[in-house]
Amino acid sequence: MADTRSGVGSDLAIDARHLTRKFGAKEAVVDATFEVAQSEVFGFLGPNGAGKTTTTKMLTTLLPPTSGSATLLGFDLRTQGRNIRERIGVVQQQDSFDQGLNVETSMDLYGLLWGVPKNVRKDRIGELIERFSMEEFRRMSTLDLSTGQRRRLQVAREFVHEMDLLFLDEPTVGLDPIVRRTALNYFKEKVREGLSIFFTTHILEEAEYLCDRLAVINHGRIVEVDTPANLKRKFGTAKEVEFRFLEGASGEFQKLLSASGEVDAVELDVASGAYRAKTSKPEAVIPEVYRLAERLGLHVSSVYISETTLEDAFISMIEGQEGGKR
Amino acid sequence: MNAYVRLVYRNLRANLDRVSLFFELMFPLFFIFVQGYGFGGIVPDLHLGNGKAISYPLYLAAGAVTLTVINGGTNAGTQLWYDRKNGMFEQILVGPFNRAQYILSIILATLIIGIAGSLLVFLLALPVLGYSLALNLNGVLLVASALFLGTVFYGAVAIALSVALRSSETFQIVSTFVFFVFLFTSSVFFPSGTAPEPIRTISLLNPLTYTTDAFRAGLFDAWTPTVGLELPVLGAEAAVMFVVAVLAFRRIRV
Repeated sequence: MADTRSGVGSDLAIDARHLTRKFGAKEAVVDATFEVAQSEVFGFLGPNGAGKTTTTKMLTTLLPPTSGSATLLGFDLRTQGRNIRERIGVVQQQDSFDQGLNVETSMDLYGLLWGVPKNVRKDRIGELIERFSMEEFRRMSTLDLSTGQRRRLQVAREFVHEMDLLFLDEPTVGLDPIVRRTALNYFKEKVREGLSIFFTTHILEEAEYLCDRLAVINHGRIVEVDTPANLKRKFGTAKEVEFRFLEGASGEFQKLLSASGEVDAVELDVASGAYRAKTSKPEAVIPEVYRLAERLGLHVSSVYISETTLEDAFISMIEGQEGGKR
Repeated sequence: MNAYVRLVYRNLRANLDRVSLFFELMFPLFFIFVQGYGFGGIVPDLHLGNGKAISYPLYLAAGAVTLTVINGGTNAGTQLWYDRKNGMFEQILVGPFNRAQYILSIILATLIIGIAGSLLVFLLALPVLGYSLALNLNGVLLVASALFLGTVFYGAVAIALSVALRSSETFQIVSTFVFFVFLFTSSVFFPSGTAPEPIRTISLLNPLTYTTDAFRAGLFDAWTPTVGLELPVLGAEAAVMFVVAVLAFRRIRV
């Protein structure tokens, strides 16, 4: 990582206070207040148009805030933009590449822009090409790359230079699952070495895998900041009990279980023959499943409780907020 | 390495297509060697002032060198346009640079291309220009000033156009048309003073007229008081256009 000396009082990677950005009368981000610790991965989640990219653009000095303040690595966002930009890395949501250059030259030129010495660039690029499995297209023109290959280049390229804080805006869109996991593990490795990450994504499994804490933003306002586990506990009320019978489906069983007070809904997955019962009390539903099965002469072949996912919690949070608004 | 050097080097490496550059050089050479000699037999010698008269191939050769100024200027717009299209504009602005450094690096890269291109065309045109050249120190300064100011003017025009026009096709066709108008209402191909109205009036507003006149005057030691007036006008036009380009550039939303 880069030299860890930073501005005054910089035990936080980001300290945002009441950040607001308006476009005319439209409020894109309102009163955003949050902190990101050093070596923390901070996820930023929200539906389309919620204000994620505007927040990222403000923090990366592309857009000045209408009001509010922030310090990044101890530097003031309004007056020390240059100091901030020297210490951050940004993988934008949109493609960014130098057209007509091959992958290796493109990475080298990017490192040169950052003032990375030639011998350091050479070693680092070699390592990144190997880590991100880019050997087979290292000499291909950026114009001839597939979307996923170009994305891989864009993510890998950012690590040619040193930084203390990395902004990742939907970095894995277009990557296949193997490369995606490689990238996430590489991010984790860098975090262990001291990097802080501000991570924007729509893929909630990724957020759960990578992030220490998450902020959820909706209609420009941050509605929750907490760990993934706590968010699931707070908002993930609905769970699923999945079970099968040796005898296959039974319409009578579905009717009886649906009528029991502990179940919100029972669905049959025709392809797999599994029933899925939505409930907030799985511990009450399972005995009921066995009781009804015995009554109807059925034999339970499998049963398990599926955990609340972050996606469930996220949807519940956003829907709750939308309901509140209505 | 200095931030400007890094940015200029990057602009030259990343945004300039060698094939396009080659054909940009071919244009003026075509004018010099085909049009110049083609019309040379029917066009009489042309007077530049200061008692100097030169043949049409010579007249056109000097004009065609300044044509590379326009081509160099077009590159400024192309660089900005590609950076915006390919996401590199924002990527650079979140790096250790600011907008002023970025736009100045484009102008500097454009100057390098414009002046290097002009020198190359000049060298290739030497068989035509040959012993007619009467280049002295004042002439060199005049030629250098004309090329510098002309490149800044046309670079600024191209930057303003690339800010205003977001579609590739529109940018290409509009910039080609605009530069075509500049080219044919200047003194590159014919002496604008002998042209009928309103072409003559338009040519008096056209910076390429001043670039070309100053360039010829420097090359053939044909300094006149008119050229002495033209150079400051060219400087003023370049300054105004530069301000327009910077204002347009500042309006780009990220």
